[in-house]
Amino acid sequence: MLALWSIALRTLVAERGKFITALVGVVFSVVLVNVQGGLFLGLLRKASLLVDCGGADIWVGHRGMFNVDLAADIPRRWVYRVRSVPGVAVAQPYLLGHSTMTLPDGGFESVLVIGCERSTLLGNAWMMREGRAADVVRTDGIIVDAWEAVKLGDPQVGSLREIGRRRARVVGTSDGILGFLITPYVFTTLDRASEFLHKPSDVCSYVLVQLEPGADAHQVCHEIRRRLPKADAWPREVYSRMCVEYWIRRTGLGISFGCSTLLGLLVGMVIVAQTLYASVLDRIQEFGTLKAMGADHGQLYRMLLAQAVFMAALGSAGGVILVALIVGAFSTPVAPIVTPAWLVGASTVLVVVVCVLSSLLPFWRVRRVDPLLVLQS
Amino acid sequence: MSSLRHVHPRRASERGAETAVSAAPPVVVEGLCKQYVRGGIATPVLRGVDLRVERGECVFLTGPSGSGKSTLLAILGCILTPDAGVVRILGENLGLLDAHRRTLLRRQRIGFVFQRFQLLRGLTALHNVAVPLQLCGVPPATALVRAMRLLEQVGLRERAHALPSQLSAGQCQRVALARALAVEPELILADEPTANLDEHHGLEAMRLLRELAAARGRTLVVVTHDVRILPFADRVFRLEHGRLQPWEARLVDAGGTTGV
Repeated sequence: MLALWSIALRTLVAERGKFITALVGVVFSVVLVNVQGGLFLGLLRKASLLVDCGGADIWVGHRGMFNVDLAADIPRRWVYRVRSVPGVAVAQPYLLGHSTMTLPDGGFESVLVIGCERSTLLGNAWMMREGRAADVVRTDGIIVDAWEAVKLGDPQVGSLREIGRRRARVVGTSDGILGFLITPYVFTTLDRASEFLHKPSDVCSYVLVQLEPGADAHQVCHEIRRRLPKADAWPREVYSRMCVEYWIRRTGLGISFGCSTLLGLLVGMVIVAQTLYASVLDRIQEFGTLKAMGADHGQLYRMLLAQAVFMAALGSAGGVILVALIVGAFSTPVAPIVTPAWLVGASTVLVVVVCVLSSLLPFWRVRRVDPLLVLQS
Repeated sequence: MSSLRHVHPRRASERGAETAVSAAPPVVVEGLCKQYVRGGIATPVLRGVDLRVERGECVFLTGPSGSGKSTLLAILGCILTPDAGVVRILGENLGLLDAHRRTLLRRQRIGFVFQRFQLLRGLTALHNVAVPLQLCGVPPATALVRAMRLLEQVGLRERAHALPSQLSAGQCQRVALARALAVEPELILADEPTANLDEHHGLEAMRLLRELAAARGRTLVVVTHDVRILPFADRVFRLEHGRLQPWEARLVDAGGTTGV
């Protein structure tokens, strides 16, 4: 087998032009799969960013809660009921709601106001570019994201805005806390959020829970649901997944990204198959010679397979390097390209499978080559 | 038949001595018939061909174009199967071998020299010679050592790393000769080995082929139109109208246009 690989690779590389064309096809496939997949994962990560990074172990909200950004009001007094559940260390109200920010030029922008309890600041902004997250407690304090500068009229620390006809002062900017929706997040304290949103002070959107060490999140959720029949309570991981699934199911996002990824694979497969096929057509006499010398179909297929796998391996390596460069150059919090190891690994396996399938087409032609043709020249 | 399964090219030279079947003449053809069907019309090509080639013998087959020389060579090389008659190659009755065993016989015990050399373009001379060994499963490193030894024997050691496109026609044919001998085949079949060479190189290639085959005690069957090389043969047969007949010595000696 090793011997055949040696022949296969030498003949493949000898046709430099065709070889490079096929490689480009494979690289293209790998890049497309990874970038499409990475953009998809990046987008999904934004869908559950607040849940994943908010610091709560359990999210308690209105029964049927399905998405962190689209919350329904619940009575703030539920906080006390939740605090009474064994295993709960901290329980704080959390308020989310849409409002409008008036900009210095007279324009306005829809924003998603997020209010956290000032004593613990559970669920407050975390990755800070300017200022400190704790400064949100200062008078009229809000934290906006630096990546939303264009939408929010280039807010600087100390600059003033108006939200829900209330004065707001930027006390810090975060660095890449962006939601799935185009609406910018504005972090502030719970009471100020109620003012911005014109909501009564006895409602909130969630109760965020931190568990005592060793407490079982699922058990605590179960107990919360038992004590508050109109509430839902989910561990962080579960609610995070629910948020992601909401967007996938409601928007058809998975289908759209899946189709374009499939298209990339198909294009790669066609290029590899076409290149191998053209190479075989170009060397029909050589395959006839090999058959005349006693090469059987198994050996010839292994040669084609070796060529396909070699192209897949080399193309994948090149593709992965290119993906790393693309991620480094173009991935931003606005359009994050998340390429975890499993995505890179899976795309490589997919491309290898595609290349192996591609080798079947030229093999179909090789099978029909008659060794007699080399005696009839 | 069982001799095929355990044959290894490294021990090919010992095979003839070890196996009982190899003691038989390498080529025995009796009443061979072959016809092609084109457009529903059957055209007989070989009509009762008889041929027996002894071990170490060099036999030439001549005849006009379309007389069936290549068809006969393809049958001797296990590429085609006969329609009727008995063909025993290296002791194996082709009629009793399935396609796989015929392929094995060809791979392990028969060497081919083709009219247009048929070297693989992307491989150097050295790697081209190593191909039959690698098809037999010889590890690449060992195959290359043995290929280099063969290239030395055909005087091409210095050109071992040249591609076919960098070699002259004569050099290509010498590479092809080395390749045909790579697995130490007991039977060598050559199809017009001098057709693409000028007189000097043609005679040189034939002399080399004859010497290498004789030195190894190999049996050689050559199909040719080239009367200049007929003196290299132990026996010459002419194939005409589907029948094989011994060639007359006077025509060989004449060396002119003989209508072959």
